[in-house]
Amino acid sequence: MNLRVENVSFRYPSGVLALDGVNAEIASGEVVGILGENGAGKTTLVKLFNGLLRPSQGKVWIGDWDTADHSTAALAARVGFLFQNPDDQLFERTVAREVAYGPRNQGASEAQVKRRVAQALKLVGLQAQADSHPYDLPQPQRKLLALAATIAMQTPILVLDEPTIGQDEVGRTTIGHIVNSLHQMGRTLIIITHDVDFCAQHAQRILVMLQGKVHVDGAASEVLIQTKILDEAEVAPPQLVRLAQALKMPAAPLNVEDFVDEYKQWRKKRKK
Amino acid sequence: MPSMRGGTIYVEGRSGLHKLHPLTKLALSGLCFACAAALPGLPWLLGMFVLVLMPLAIWGRITRAFLKACLLVVGPFLLSLAIIQGFFHGGDTVLFQLGRFTYTLEGLMAGLLFAARLLVALGGTLLLMQSTDQAQLMQALTERGFPARIAYVVLTAIQIFPSFQDRAQVIMDAQQARGLELQTGALNRARLLLPMVGPLILGSVMDVSERAMALEARGFSSPAQKTSLHSLADSASQRTLRWLLVAAALGLLAWRVGSALA
Repeated sequence: MNLRVENVSFRYPSGVLALDGVNAEIASGEVVGILGENGAGKTTLVKLFNGLLRPSQGKVWIGDWDTADHSTAALAARVGFLFQNPDDQLFERTVAREVAYGPRNQGASEAQVKRRVAQALKLVGLQAQADSHPYDLPQPQRKLLALAATIAMQTPILVLDEPTIGQDEVGRTTIGHIVNSLHQMGRTLIIITHDVDFCAQHAQRILVMLQGKVHVDGAASEVLIQTKILDEAEVAPPQLVRLAQALKMPAAPLNVEDFVDEYKQWRKKRKK
Repeated sequence: MPSMRGGTIYVEGRSGLHKLHPLTKLALSGLCFACAAALPGLPWLLGMFVLVLMPLAIWGRITRAFLKACLLVVGPFLLSLAIIQGFFHGGDTVLFQLGRFTYTLEGLMAGLLFAARLLVALGGTLLLMQSTDQAQLMQALTERGFPARIAYVVLTAIQIFPSFQDRAQVIMDAQQARGLELQTGALNRARLLLPMVGPLILGSVMDVSERAMALEARGFSSPAQKTSLHSLADSASQRTLRWLLVAAALGLLAWRVGSALA
């Protein structure tokens, strides 16, 4: 399911213009990272996708739906949303019931709900905690639970707002695996983050926001090496890019394996 | 132009009301509670609101914010009290009938009386909160030997409503994003109660716990004499006024208890 943003502007009641003439199209199955400094308009933009905010001007299309014609609850069938703080949504007595809440709101049958809950918990690695109370889990696992609750809604589009925040390296890696699995399932993933290295590893495409506008939009391998453009948006390039540039390597791969290969070749050439 | 500071309902300003010592306004707030509990009828309570609280709000240049807050809080109570009391309080003067339920004038008046008591009690607190920087209130309390812990509890109670409101909005967004429909019908609104209240209470408890630890880590319970950055203006006339307000509140309550026992 495609997502299209057409000349969208958004002004908060306080008068702050958060988005100014934004255009973007995200194709089905893409993994898109949205980067930018605080206040650049990232969260405002994605809140338009599920109708939590409505554009002051322009249109947002989710497939063939104009978001202006549908409630947030209806749009929840197409756009799943992982909020930054999992504690803003957890309220059920058990982990399994929490995950089942979204599918039940969608009117899924009891058999479908059970299947979706089992699948989502397996994907995030919380099957063993299915009967635990959500607040008995540590905060990083509550984040995974909130992610499972979003995944269980089986929406074609998933928005993840700062998915790696508060996660240790194990949790970050787990979320990376989940993102890869969801991508393989054909879901569209939109990741808002300050974690540029996570984007470098998992996003195919990067959209950098600056002062309510799309500053740059392109393939991750092309955008994340443009240090000057990233600097303008107060975004630090990925560590591997910085390392490659510090070593004056001709190319800057975004993952460790490619970096090692590139480095070996570069060393060989230099020795010759 | 007064501005509202994010996260609290304090309206910044330099009016006479703003410049009053926080304890004077706290004593006024106490008197309002006493009036709400003790004044005998609707005319007295409305008189208190119109002749005392409203002029004070005008003096403080917070009229619009004050009336809006009163309406937002008391409005829903007024509506539900008028309905519930009208149908179930009983009385002889039937205004209309709905099936086998009768709506009486006596019930309506009882509902209005209760709402007016709420309005007066709330009005005093709103005047205090909207015209007093909470840091100054805390300072005033601790300067008078009030234990810092209790001062903190009082302030947290005052501050909790705006932060509840902000958090409630985020929670509502999160549950809507999970397919919870808000727009239609009382049933859906009832369904929202648990998903809203659960995260709200648990989140707030965790916030309080984290805030307590953060305060302790910065020496909140230190026995050392605290250094104050600002001094609060006070005067003999304000001190006298405070005692008068406290005496009036106690006098009203004593009169109310006495007349109830008589």
